[in-house]
Amino acid sequence: MRHTLAGVIGAAIIILAGGCSSKKAASTSDAAGSGYGSGKGGGSGVDVENLDQRGGRGTVIGDVFFDFDSSALSPEAQEQLKQNAAWMQKNSYTSVTIEGHCDERGTDEYNIALGERRAEAAQNYLINLGVSNNRLSTVSYGEEKPFDTGNNEEAWAKNRRDHFVTK
Amino acid sequence: MRSTRNTFVSLCLVLFGLLLMPLTLKAEEVGEYIAIRKTGASRIAIVLDKTAAKGDKESAWANSLNATIKGGLDFTGLFNLMSAPLNIRNSQDGTLNLASIASVGGDIYAGGSVTKKSGKPVLEMQVFDASGKSLLRRNYSGEESQLRAIGLRFCADLVELLTGKRSVFGTKIVFISNRTGNKEVYMCDFDGENVVQLTNSRSISLTPTVSSDGNYLAWMDYTSGRPNLYIKNLATGAKVSVNKHGVCISPAWRPGTNTLVTTLSYQGDQDLYLIRADGTVERRLTKGGGIDVSPSFSPDGSKMAFVSTRQGGPHVFIQDMNSGQVRRLTYSGTYNTQPSWSPNGDKILYSSMQKSGEINIFSIGADGSGLLQLTSGSRNNEYPSWSPDGSMIVFSSTRDGKRKLYVMNADGTNQKPLLRMEGEQQQPSWSVNK
Repeated sequence: MRHTLAGVIGAAIIILAGGCSSKKAASTSDAAGSGYGSGKGGGSGVDVENLDQRGGRGTVIGDVFFDFDSSALSPEAQEQLKQNAAWMQKNSYTSVTIEGHCDERGTDEYNIALGERRAEAAQNYLINLGVSNNRLSTVSYGEEKPFDTGNNEEAWAKNRRDHFVTK
Repeated sequence: MRSTRNTFVSLCLVLFGLLLMPLTLKAEEVGEYIAIRKTGASRIAIVLDKTAAKGDKESAWANSLNATIKGGLDFTGLFNLMSAPLNIRNSQDGTLNLASIASVGGDIYAGGSVTKKSGKPVLEMQVFDASGKSLLRRNYSGEESQLRAIGLRFCADLVELLTGKRSVFGTKIVFISNRTGNKEVYMCDFDGENVVQLTNSRSISLTPTVSSDGNYLAWMDYTSGRPNLYIKNLATGAKVSVNKHGVCISPAWRPGTNTLVTTLSYQGDQDLYLIRADGTVERRLTKGGGIDVSPSFSPDGSKMAFVSTRQGGPHVFIQDMNSGQVRRLTYSGTYNTQPSWSPNGDKILYSSMQKSGEINIFSIGADGSGLLQLTSGSRNNEYPSWSPDGSMIVFSSTRDGKRKLYVMNADGTNQKPLLRMEGEQQQPSWSVNK
């Protein structure tokens, strides 16, 4: 059941993200009908407006960035976390997994530990702002899932991040 | 889907079981030999004669054995391989003209013949020094399918004879490759041959390592949604996991035991814990002070090198397993990780990120003396791991673009690619073969 629901939401988000320029009616009914086997049936389409309220992932609740080999929260990072906390308090039914990531420099195993410290830094900050502990979880991916695969500081700066996944 | 996966895992186990089967090779000693020890760094000049054979079958075996023996001896970096001079045999009676060895600058002569006995190959090898003294005369026999093992068994004997030490022949290397699109654990022979895929997690698998007796494989992967450690009995295929909240990183087996040390974070900080082969925690080894990761043991298991941020950036420290006393090993550089303690106990390798952004491999005495840089000017060189005999080092490098595996001699010379394989390869760990 959970999976079906997630699938429907996933489908809607894919449609939202991929089909902004196309007409809503045509693309939604196609995808819902054929691809995802939603319980609603092919003809009913997807309620786009409702899903939008659930939080366009990664936009409302934004990534937080770090310096090299650091898990310290910069003033900018703290500002973003305040926004994230405010969003979580407004959307009290959501829980969030904080993914800690590193750039490709440094060594793999060390970066998994560093990624966890980055995720925990954000988690603790959110808890201090009043977000309930049991709505937050962390996972470190070290340098395994770069956002930008480039080999320069511009790419690395984007990869040294906490990414927030709502569920 | 599930049954395909189970079939695949079973197949891997069967293949792996075959690899572990004891070879029914016989090394029959025909004469006495004397171990001579070469000191100094120079290579041993060896005249390697072509294996004599009569008949088509035997000639094909001889060609295969020649390639194996030449490739094997060359791989070690110990030898200067020379072809036999034209006058190696006396023209009248075909006997060996050993004086010709010295005349071309050779120290050692090795050669022999292969014959067929009950349909199976028998390799008879002889080794002489330049003075004509016989050092070894042995028969090696086995199944036809074991020709490579027969040739390598002679190589192992020759190295042990000439250096007085064990060799790399017969050892295995486990590593990670993303060849399938996912990072999985693989194993190959010491020279990159016979690659076998050991996991099919379809997730991210990392940091594989085999116990010192060759019985257990430990690695971490993300199949549970977070980095968790798995321990597999390689004989039975039984697998356990270390189910602790938080991360589980970079296991290292304690030599002579079925326990390993890994980083866990379920009690807050990323600290090192001693774990039993059944996945349960025996005891906590470090506490607080930031990240503690990447353990590596002294050969007697009494001391553990590891990476810690307790004094700022990542550096290598050494902890006594009994007293718990800790001392810092590295002072040069600002980012030193991935220690690997030599099987002889005297040296520790580590990788250091330098100001240029390059990562390079260094060697330092376990007492902190004799710092030596082994790689340079070749982008990122990481994850050094000693061969069980201490003569060679396997590591990953991005020197040719993608991350691939390379080997070098213990002193940093003779750097060369280990294997040709699609995708990226990383995190090699050299182990004994059971």
